[in-house]
Amino acid sequence: MNSGFAHAAIISTLYTTLIFLIAWYAHRRKETGRSIVDNPYVYSLSIAVYCTSWTFYGSVGKAATTGLDFLMIYLGPSLTAFSWFFLLRRIVRISKENNITSIADFISLRYGKSLWLGALVTLISILGIMPYIALQIRAVSTSFYLISGFQANRIHIPHSGSELTVPTGLLLALILSVFSIIFGARRLVSSERHEGLIAAVAFESLVKLVSLLGVGIFVTYYLYDGFSDIFTRFHAARPKLFEQLFTFGAAGNDPDYVPSFTMLSMSMAAIMLLPRQFHVMVIENSDEGHITKAMWLFPAYLFLINLFVMPIALGGIMATGSSSGADFFVISLPLLSGHGTIALLAFLGGFSAAAGMVMVESVAISTMLLNYIFMPVIVRFTPQSWFPYLLINLKRLGIFLVIFLGYFYYRIVGDTYMLVNMGLISFSAACQFLPAMLGGLYWKRGNKSGAITGILFGFLTWTYTLLLPSFSKSGWLEPDLLTKGPFGIGLLKPTELFGLSNMDLWSHSLFWSMLFNVSAYIVCSILLRQDEPEREQIRRFIGTFDLERADHPAETKRLSKPVTISQFVNLMAKFIGEADARQAITSHLGDREIGSDGSVSEFELPNLKRFAEKTLAGSVGAAAAGAIVDSFLSDMGSRMESVYDIFSSVRTSLDQSREALYVRLKASEIINRTLDIQIIMDDLLSLLLKEFKLDVAIIQLLNVSGALAVKSYQGSNRRPINQHHWFMENAPYWDMALFDRKPHFVNDTSQIGATINLEQTLAEGIVSCAYLPIFREGEPSLGVLAVFSKSITGIFTEEFISLLCSLAGQLAQAATIVREMEAKEHERNEKEQALLEKARVMRDMEIAQQIQISLLPDAAPETFGMDMAGRCISAAHVGGDYYDFFKRDDHTVDLLIADVSGHSVGAALIMAEVRTLLRAQVNSANSASAILQLLNSQLYDDLTRAELFITMFYAKYNSATGRLSFANAGHNRPIISRDGEHSCIELDTEGLILGVKTSVMFEERSFELKAGDVLLFYTDGLTEARNDRDELFGNERVCALLGTLRHMPAREIIESIYTAVKDFTASETFQDDISLVVLKIL
Amino acid sequence: MTNRLRHKLLRRLQLRESWVIFFVVGFIMMNFPFLQIFNKPGAIFGYPLMFLYFYLGWAFSIVVIYVFTLAVSHTADKSPENPKP
Repeated sequence: MNSGFAHAAIISTLYTTLIFLIAWYAHRRKETGRSIVDNPYVYSLSIAVYCTSWTFYGSVGKAATTGLDFLMIYLGPSLTAFSWFFLLRRIVRISKENNITSIADFISLRYGKSLWLGALVTLISILGIMPYIALQIRAVSTSFYLISGFQANRIHIPHSGSELTVPTGLLLALILSVFSIIFGARRLVSSERHEGLIAAVAFESLVKLVSLLGVGIFVTYYLYDGFSDIFTRFHAARPKLFEQLFTFGAAGNDPDYVPSFTMLSMSMAAIMLLPRQFHVMVIENSDEGHITKAMWLFPAYLFLINLFVMPIALGGIMATGSSSGADFFVISLPLLSGHGTIALLAFLGGFSAAAGMVMVESVAISTMLLNYIFMPVIVRFTPQSWFPYLLINLKRLGIFLVIFLGYFYYRIVGDTYMLVNMGLISFSAACQFLPAMLGGLYWKRGNKSGAITGILFGFLTWTYTLLLPSFSKSGWLEPDLLTKGPFGIGLLKPTELFGLSNMDLWSHSLFWSMLFNVSAYIVCSILLRQDEPEREQIRRFIGTFDLERADHPAETKRLSKPVTISQFVNLMAKFIGEADARQAITSHLGDREIGSDGSVSEFELPNLKRFAEKTLAGSVGAAAAGAIVDSFLSDMGSRMESVYDIFSSVRTSLDQSREALYVRLKASEIINRTLDIQIIMDDLLSLLLKEFKLDVAIIQLLNVSGALAVKSYQGSNRRPINQHHWFMENAPYWDMALFDRKPHFVNDTSQIGATINLEQTLAEGIVSCAYLPIFREGEPSLGVLAVFSKSITGIFTEEFISLLCSLAGQLAQAATIVREMEAKEHERNEKEQALLEKARVMRDMEIAQQIQISLLPDAAPETFGMDMAGRCISAAHVGGDYYDFFKRDDHTVDLLIADVSGHSVGAALIMAEVRTLLRAQVNSANSASAILQLLNSQLYDDLTRAELFITMFYAKYNSATGRLSFANAGHNRPIISRDGEHSCIELDTEGLILGVKTSVMFEERSFELKAGDVLLFYTDGLTEARNDRDELFGNERVCALLGTLRHMPAREIIESIYTAVKDFTASETFQDDISLVVLKIL
Repeated sequence: MTNRLRHKLLRRLQLRESWVIFFVVGFIMMNFPFLQIFNKPGAIFGYPLMFLYFYLGWAFSIVVIYVFTLAVSHTADKSPENPKP
């Protein structure tokens, strides 16, 4: 047993344990939310996974054989770092938004989630990375042999006679696989960051840097005396080689810059496109801000790790005398100088470099493998509850597969290539993604067919010109293929394709593969069209890319049949597990509006679908996620349909399209043009029918009784609306819209359930319909706008509905204004009418007044021995007061005064009737009481009907006898003022008012009048006149007044009384009619 | 004065165009005509010419990127990417 072997084995085991612990610790820290990985330094170190054992061992090897051009591999990424500011940040942003899990995912997503493209990228990655992993296994194995003291590449352990061979490579592959699985495939969600893995990788990056710097310093400053010492001594020892190593193509005579250019370009592309680089830079990025720092940290890392490569190479050549075995100078140089510890440090550095790369690479590629090779098969089966276990184990299997493919390549190709040259084969493969990637990010026309064809052509060329020759050189294939070409056709020689000779293997391959790749990509992209899913992605990848993008971009798709949330959750649970699915949906829905039955609004559904896709994409890749959700939907009988573009032009964003603005403008023109609501409604509906693919549009408004009535009907098949019209079936919808003031619409009438029967509507050919309440904010609905389409299902997009709602709102505004104006107009008319009416009545009343006045005697009859006068002043136009004189003969005069209750026209009419009746009695010789009795019986019916009464005082005076006989029907008692007497005499007699009883007996009395007596008949208006102190005029005042006036002529007495009353009430008008009759005995 | 100059410089460096220009310049420097200049045998202070060119140039470019990143964090008031036309 070799002690070096045991030593190396123990150290390796310990080191592996250490890395394991670090990874485990980082994972624990992440679980508790205190990540140690979440900083730009760890991020930069993890990007340094770029430096594999190729860098660690191979750079020195390359430097010792071809010289300085090894640097190109590191200058390239350093240059690319300049572009990260716009390129990487953009890629990271897109990836985070879409839960991208790998570079295959990224490219496939850009080209419409193409499964084929993803599979192709995966295939290239697996095959392309094979030599790279082989390189690592070979480097670690060889270094292990070196460190453990075996010169041959076999470890022979004498064991009971036979030799035991330890297959270090196989062992290494196994260890790395297990390690990758533990940290890379613990969980299925690949878009999640693997902090343990990254911590391990970052630590390894640190170890390899320290280790290489250590060896470098050891060589430069311990074995030699600094840089210039090495250079000078080497120059002195091997001037020819010195010149060769430090110039390109032996300067002077036709230097060849092509290899260096090729390496520069390839490394520039590889830093972004190698699956593991994409993984650590994009998928494992926790913060965009880290990129900025990594932009100079990473180049600085590369600078440092390469600083001592040249001295080590030169020292190695001087120590060993040749550049053979230069690949392992890093270990052999310390060993040769007897410094085993330094060599062991170098071994650990090399091991770290290899392990980090293999782990990340295998995890990255196994994710692609799962998503694009396994998933397309799996999605064909019905999802089962054990799918999550299957998927995670498939991913683990993928890791094994990737690493062991590398192992087998190593076994086949073995040691025929230098380390760097093996790595370059992989770089060349990764370059095939470049056109599709860059084109995808910056060229709108780049399409799926272009990408697939380009990558496929590039890949085939790569296989033919690079991969095949590598097999062939190792003797695994017929060497004839290389020297003579297939079937002896020289032009098709893989290394000199189409006669392109004198070019190094990689430049030759890169030239041809990129030529075919780029041209195929461009030609196909220009010639062929993009399909719809692609165009959708282009909007996300290219175009105005800013952070403040709306959370829910306008959907151009709708689900033909609604799907509930729980159905989506069940679907997701079958792939990522119940718990994860629930957690995802909870965080997604947040505070969004959800129906009680777990349904979401139609406009929310596409978002939900996209969310489900995105969540699944995090585990199974974008393309497979798309396929899963699509097949799930089609099982449900639902599918994504293109939303009909109502404006027949491409909508680019949430912004209002020009056409929508045009319609709004037109609508407001229509509304402002006229105040005729009918014209507004008709024109508005015509506009809707003309601008959109609608077939019928109806406006219903509430009428006075609160029922909806069709006010305007535009569109095809016009016929009168009656109970049998198909429109009537839609009543539940318009009632709903009217009631809850929300738009209701059916985007596909054939999908409507049995709850609402729309048979006739369906028969009419209506495929989609919408009902929009016409209302102003905060007010009840005025009516409903209903629109129908016969040609387009799904016409009612969120945008369209909101446009229609806004039009309905404008209509409501207009209708309200018109209604208010109409109401005002009506009120004004009514007022005018009333005024007219009043004026007419006034005129009539005036006429009536004239007539009534003419009914009263204009002058008292001239009778000897007496002076009589009478006057009536009405409070209103017409009144119920009446007085009259009838001269029977030369000596006899009848006087009467009456008051019909009220001042109405009725009273006036009754008064006229009384007059007529009395006139008929003039010539009868009836007594006063008899006349009253007669009047009562004749007027009773009329008075009862009119609900009026009459008070009347009737007197007969015979001047010859001086006797006044009288009867009273409830009237104010007339007063007599007699000369020499202070008080007045009241003519008192019993009698009921007229119109109370049918037959009344009136008491008749008589009174002897003397010369000088003044008799005053009056109505109650006189005594009941009030002043502003609420005092009545009263009998006393009348009596006293009469006493003072008694010497005047009758007419003047009357006038004076009126004047006195006016003075008393301090008013020009009377509250009641006042009639006065004065009889003065001469 | 120097402060204003520094501010102005950093503002320029925020532009995406500046990044692209440096990227392109770097690419050119690593290619034929420039390499030809330094592709000569000979040494300065014992250091080969080409070696010096690469390493010093590289170090310089790292410093340039470092200055760039300073510019990015210099003023956050304006979005550095996508300068609006």
